Amino acid sequence: MESAIKLEHIYRSFKTHFWQKRKLVLEDINLEVFQGEVFGFLGPNGAGKTTTIKLITGLLKPDSGKISIFGMPRDSLKAKQLIGYLPESPYFYDHLTGYEFLKVHALLGNCKDYEKKVYEQLEKVGLKSAANLQLRKYSRGMLQRIGIAQALITDPELIILDEPLTGLDPIGRKEIKDLILEQKQQGKTIFFSSHILPDAEVICDRIGIIINGKILKVGELKQLLKKGIKTDEISLEDWFVKQVKEKDA
Amino acid sequence: MHRIRAIVENTFKESLRQRILNLLIIFAILLIVVSIFLEPFAIGESPKILRDFGLAVSSIFGVLIVIIIGSSLIHKDIEKRTIYTVIAKPVKRGEIIVGKFLGLFFLIAVLETGMTIIHQIIIFIYEGAFDPHLLIALPFSLLEVMVLLGILLLFSSFSSSTMASIMGIIFFIIGHGSPDLKLFADQSKVVLLKYIAYVFYYILPNLENFNLRIELVYKLPVHHDQILFSLCYGLIYTILLLYVATIIFEKREFK
Ligand SMILES: Nc1ncnc2c1ncn2[C@@H]1O[C@H](COP(=O)(O)OP(=O)(O)OP(=O)(O)O)[C@@H](O)[C@H]1O
Ligand SMILES: [Mg+2]
Repeated sequence: MESAIKLEHIYRSFKTHFWQKRKLVLEDINLEVFQGEVFGFLGPNGAGKTTTIKLITGLLKPDSGKISIFGMPRDSLKAKQLIGYLPESPYFYDHLTGYEFLKVHALLGNCKDYEKKVYEQLEKVGLKSAANLQLRKYSRGMLQRIGIAQALITDPELIILDEPLTGLDPIGRKEIKDLILEQKQQGKTIFFSSHILPDAEVICDRIGIIINGKILKVGELKQLLKKGIKTDEISLEDWFVKQVKEKDA
Repeated sequence: MHRIRAIVENTFKESLRQRILNLLIIFAILLIVVSIFLEPFAIGESPKILRDFGLAVSSIFGVLIVIIIGSSLIHKDIEKRTIYTVIAKPVKRGEIIVGKFLGLFFLIAVLETGMTIIHQIIIFIYEGAFDPHLLIALPFSLLEVMVLLGILLLFSSFSSSTMASIMGIIFFIIGHGSPDLKLFADQSKVVLLKYIAYVFYYILPNLENFNLRIELVYKLPVHHDQILFSLCYGLIYTILLLYVATIIFEKREFK
């Protein structure tokens, strides 16, 4: 299978204060996401999910290691053309209307016939009636949906979503999950982060678990579940607390 | 091209919707209008104040917009994280810099043109005739705006917006003191100091190249050579600034 994302020996550290030592946030991350799959990137708060995603989308650079997108270096324009990205708790230009916002991103994404694309996306995420409303008047759920629309507007092969389900009500979550599955049906690759297992269970083919900047497990959800992670009541954080405590003991 | 256009449009709209802009516009127009009432107090041959004042206001107005809005062009996007989705698109960092530059530049060009028209109307009201001779000040003032905006973007590409503003002001002051710097270099007896002064004189922008107020107010001739030189100087200087800003911005991370 062709890989959509390949991370090889990724290290990344941050300086918290300038007199302090750099803190290692990602340690030897190796991860491969295959074309056409829905991959859930799971881990507790502060595990390094967002940092990993920012490295993939070019917002950050790794200290060392290699990142490829469909075999291309991740910062090439060609690779970027294939990516759609929804940041974590996104903030958008408040003063733009939904239409204007999508238009900017369609043009930045080299869309031909941007007008058609914009209306298509607005329709798809159910914001057609809010097209001429300024984004500052959007609700949280609407913002998340317009964020997804800007990610999908270039019809990308690889869709990277950082906590797309957080902060949404059950209906909103259902809509986004359906949208992800619809993209999968079209053969797209989806990589998304979350720290709530039930979300992942419904839509993921495979999951990767990251904790304290290290990949703990990667595999098919079903197989991991057999090893005893309960998905219906226990959240990943709870499970990790248990794991970590067991490790320490 | 589409990508730069998208950023230009967005920057233009965004800057236009800033509240501070309305304030500046009202203030500038008031100042130009008020100069009518100062005219009778002018000493010597009239009507000097009307001309000097109008030219100064419209040019300082542009400079203020550059320093106030230009400093936050990049930072607001980073702070509000609106830049994340932009960076992830197949856009070159240089396109972002150039787009932001052109967006605000066009806005200032439109506004300064407006100021110039108002100025001409005031002159017409006072003297019964327009003074087309003054119009040459507009492109010169815009060249200064260009260079300053380039400086602001250069500092924005790696430092804070406050830093960018401060550097903008410092460069504005030094830039207009450039002839004095040269004079100092010419006359300095200490060789080291002399060379340092020359280095600064040639590296720092000479904004006096874009100042035609004396010539225009006293109706002295403006030579073609001077126009051509200022034009090339402004363009080349700005392109260099944007080029360096791009190189720095390419290394920038978004934490
Ligand atoms: N800019 C930064 N400067 C310093 N430390 C940072 C920075 N960004 C992230 N970190 C640290 O890196 C670690 C991983 O953060 P990251 O945001 O990647 O976690 P996450 O898995 O996305 O968490 P969450 O589920 O809360 O979103 C955290 O310990 C965080 O404090
Ligand atoms: Mg995160």
